[in-house]
Amino acid sequence: MRYFLTSLRAVFMKDIVTELRARQVLPTMVVLGMLIVWVLRIACETAAGSTAIIGPVAFWIAFLFAGLLAQERSFATEEQNDCMDGLLLAPIDAGTIYLAKLLVNIVMLCIFEIIIVPVVIIAFGLRIGGHWPSLIGVLLLGNIAISSVGTLFSAIVQLCRTRGSLLSILVLVVLAPVMVPATFALLLKFGAIPAELAGTGALAFVGTFKTAVGYMVVFDAVFVTASWLLFGFAIKE
Amino acid sequence: MINLKSISKAFEHRSVLKNVNLAVAAGESVFVCGINGVGKSTLLRIAAGLLAPDAGAVEICGRDMAKDPEKAKPRLGLISHKSMVYTDLTVLENLMFFGRLYGLADPRRRAEQMLDDLGLGAYRFDRAAILSRGMMQRLAIARALIHKPAVLLADEPFTGLDSKASAHLAAVLEGFGDTDHAVLMTTHDAAVGVRCCRRVIVLHQGGIVFDAPTEGIDAIAFSTDYVAYSGGAS
Repeated sequence: MRYFLTSLRAVFMKDIVTELRARQVLPTMVVLGMLIVWVLRIACETAAGSTAIIGPVAFWIAFLFAGLLAQERSFATEEQNDCMDGLLLAPIDAGTIYLAKLLVNIVMLCIFEIIIVPVVIIAFGLRIGGHWPSLIGVLLLGNIAISSVGTLFSAIVQLCRTRGSLLSILVLVVLAPVMVPATFALLLKFGAIPAELAGTGALAFVGTFKTAVGYMVVFDAVFVTASWLLFGFAIKE
Repeated sequence: MINLKSISKAFEHRSVLKNVNLAVAAGESVFVCGINGVGKSTLLRIAAGLLAPDAGAVEICGRDMAKDPEKAKPRLGLISHKSMVYTDLTVLENLMFFGRLYGLADPRRRAEQMLDDLGLGAYRFDRAAILSRGMMQRLAIARALIHKPAVLLADEPFTGLDSKASAHLAAVLEGFGDTDHAVLMTTHDAAVGVRCCRRVIVLHQGGIVFDAPTEGIDAIAFSTDYVAYSGGAS
């Protein structure tokens, strides 16, 4: 257990220090996020009253694509100078490498969210009121979902030559099931969907806010556990 | 110390290693040579646990690499032509990072000691990115030896080094191959391989076709014969 924590911390700190020095991921993520928010805000000008719908959606579009940027980099540093071999030569468990990389991606996305969330709220005039705890909870669950899937597929794709486009395709397809309840939960919180419509029509399967959050919790638990267990196979030659 | 038992490996139906058996005892240093694509690097990657063989087993100091990797891996170090160090970390941070991965009690102290031993002390707070090829290879040696492994694997470690850096690396390899350690090395320079090691094996068509002590072998003559045999390109 002590070695697990030491090695987890070592890989986590190494990646954080590397990113802070290289400054390759965060600035790009922020610029991309700002661009997405700006374009969607301009689009809202064409239809009155659409900010309450597009605003919550802007969160997920920005997080998804910015997350992909971060995840694509998470194994690029290991590829340089064959550093991945250096990691695999050590007696560290492959699952520990995954968890450390996952934590780094979650932290990067959290920093990005701290910057982008106020921008989205101001740009779209969203009213949070007393919903801050539930908003933060939903965003964190979405963050874990995006990071867990992205980290695993980033490692798998690292062994392929067509990595960038393949990562986007794989991650977006796998994340589709969790993006529906994630978007629904925010639309409900920001009043874009009247509470009485929740659980009806196309939204029947996500049900209420609580069931949507429940879907996200289950998705996160399943994907983090499965990815942790499968990671060793993903990085084997 | 290194025991490769009936190792076979194929890539997309092309058989590279066929039932290779190799035992390297403590105090032995073995130079593996053969033409390009014969499977020298594959053999070393299998010995290092980086590549799984299709058949056979690898034992490092009596520990099975597949069944007991946590016990086998700390007993070996690998140097290759790639440094396996992070260019955005400082020289000291790189060594401390690998020291922690190997569970060293005081990684900083050991890292400082390695840097002083290898003449990198003045560079400890510099990013690895600024190091020359020779200095980078010294750092790679420090990385490979930080946890005091019993077995050293060296895959083309002289690639890109100038004569001074090559001589330094050769001295490190010769010094490592004492009674408590074992070395398994490949290099395209047959003369250097014969000089550095006490035993030479030649891989050909998936198997070991020559296995002899280097004592009594003329390094230059061996190198000339080897170049002629390999068609001028090793």
